[in-house]
Amino acid sequence: MKRIKCVLWLGIIISILISNLIIISASELTAEEIIKKRDDNEYFDLVRIEAEMTIVNGGRKIIKTMIALSDKKNSLVEFTNPQDRGTKFLKREDDLWMFFPDAEEIIKISGHMLNQGMMGSDFSYQDIMESDKLTDLYDFKIVGEEEIDGRVCYVLEGIAREGVKVSYYRRLSWIDQERFIGLKEELYAPSGKLLKVTTAIEIREFEGRWIPIESVMENKLRGNTYTGFKIIQIEFNPKIPEGTFSLQNLR
Amino acid sequence: MKKNFHISILFVIIFLLATIQIFAKIDLGGELSTSLISIIDNKGKISPYLQGSLDLELFLPPLDDTQAKFEIYLFNDPMSGGFDCLIKKLYLKYKFEKLHLTLGRQPVSWSFGSMLNPVDFTLGAMVMDEETGSKYQNAIEAYVPLNWNTSISAVAAFPEASQEVKWGLRGRTMIEGYDLTLNYVREPEMNLLGNLIPSSQRIGFTVKGDLGPIGIYGALGYYFEDNDNGDLAFLIGGDYSYFFEAGNKIYFQVEYLSMKKNKLSSVLGSFFTGNLDNDLDERVGLILGMINYKIDEFSQVNLMTISSINDGSIIVMPGYRNQLSNNLNLDLGTAIFLGKENTLFGSNLSDEVQLKPQGMISVGLTYSF
Repeated sequence: MKRIKCVLWLGIIISILISNLIIISASELTAEEIIKKRDDNEYFDLVRIEAEMTIVNGGRKIIKTMIALSDKKNSLVEFTNPQDRGTKFLKREDDLWMFFPDAEEIIKISGHMLNQGMMGSDFSYQDIMESDKLTDLYDFKIVGEEEIDGRVCYVLEGIAREGVKVSYYRRLSWIDQERFIGLKEELYAPSGKLLKVTTAIEIREFEGRWIPIESVMENKLRGNTYTGFKIIQIEFNPKIPEGTFSLQNLR
Repeated sequence: MKKNFHISILFVIIFLLATIQIFAKIDLGGELSTSLISIIDNKGKISPYLQGSLDLELFLPPLDDTQAKFEIYLFNDPMSGGFDCLIKKLYLKYKFEKLHLTLGRQPVSWSFGSMLNPVDFTLGAMVMDEETGSKYQNAIEAYVPLNWNTSISAVAAFPEASQEVKWGLRGRTMIEGYDLTLNYVREPEMNLLGNLIPSSQRIGFTVKGDLGPIGIYGALGYYFEDNDNGDLAFLIGGDYSYFFEAGNKIYFQVEYLSMKKNKLSSVLGSFFTGNLDNDLDERVGLILGMINYKIDEFSQVNLMTISSINDGSIIVMPGYRNQLSNNLNLDLGTAIFLGKENTLFGSNLSDEVQLKPQGMISVGLTYSF
């Protein structure tokens, strides 16, 4: 009996030690490591997405559908809804090109347009077509820990790296401690003004990666308006022909 | 000849469709538009007429490296009271490894982001961001991509007003973030409504890029004429976006065009038939401006102006657009012609016949499907 008690106590002590070790190792993650884990989930070497964008203002809403291809540096978006069918955008680093399907002409879009709402939405061209890793664009630090919908999150603050072109100077990210996915993000101007808030609505696991398949972007500068972004289909590392991210492929 | 050309292309497309069983993937789309247009003459008399159009496009899935396109534009002609049609696209495109070949009725547009383009393949094909029917050509285009942003294309077009071939050559590349094009066009002798227009040649260069937060662009064109009496035309412009604290945005675009008066009607296109009957060798300077203010996600107002710095005449065009639902747009447009009689854009009367109105108002709905 005494022997059983001893084993039981030993078991409890070992369990406590192991769980403490886990907590210590989790809390010892640096901001860089947390963002890297998030990037591992949400950043793709090559991905093809079919998505739906719902623009809502008051009681009115319009829906736009698209197919997007993205690799490490470039992205290509083609709209498929009736009003914009055939309109394509190609982003290569900081250059944006637009294909007008009626005239079948390719026009280079001025750089200042990158920060504007894509096709009238609250997502800018940069938001949708950004393909850089967050760790390449921002310096992050842990600023707290909060719970969102019952899930414990790291709260990280990212400040844009010097010399890097980004849409938002500062971002606060709530990252799920278990799944390493962004559940909420606040995006700020250099003046400190809150510009936009992104919230993940639905998260699913694909091939061992957690992906926010439905999210909402609220423009905090304007009331009563938001844009929903829903991934209908996602394919990792699809086979794409050489020259996909080129001007000749827009034609 | 032209009719046979269309029929041949149509047969090839039908043959392809019949043999490759892709009917299930074919989609039909387009735009149905109706608008009430009111013309205001010098005496303030308003003459309204109704305009309707249907743009129909067949979306055919590509078969390996081959694409086929068909688009037709049906519209009512207020003059005759009947309906007319324009075949916009009826072509086959084959993408070889190092050459894309397009054969048939196709748009040939060399726009580079300006409101006027003095070095387009067809002058006046795109005016103030609005397309005209003249860019659709019966043509063969060979496009050779050299790398992701560099290409050379050659076009042989068969204009309806000529028995000869119109040639075009265009090179495009990007250097230090600037989009650069160089082009050459040889126009054949044309017979337009009984007027013989001699053959001509022109060479053009365009550039577009960014200078800090401002988008900048320019074009330089040389129109060859007999007796070394050629004309050098140039255009410079820029665009800029300003964001308000409340998140709204205002977009500005301004450009300046300088060229001889005799080529101006071609560049301005049929929308702006200015008074061009005197001093054709005179050099004209035009300033174009556009301001666009996005009210919310669905609606915007804009103001376009085009003015002659030679005589001070001006066209002012305020507009409003509202996306009423997923597929339905409401457009309001106005054009006011200001200037003394016989100035470039002033309203004009000749023998009591209205040659140019004082203004125009249009209200229209467009449904996309």
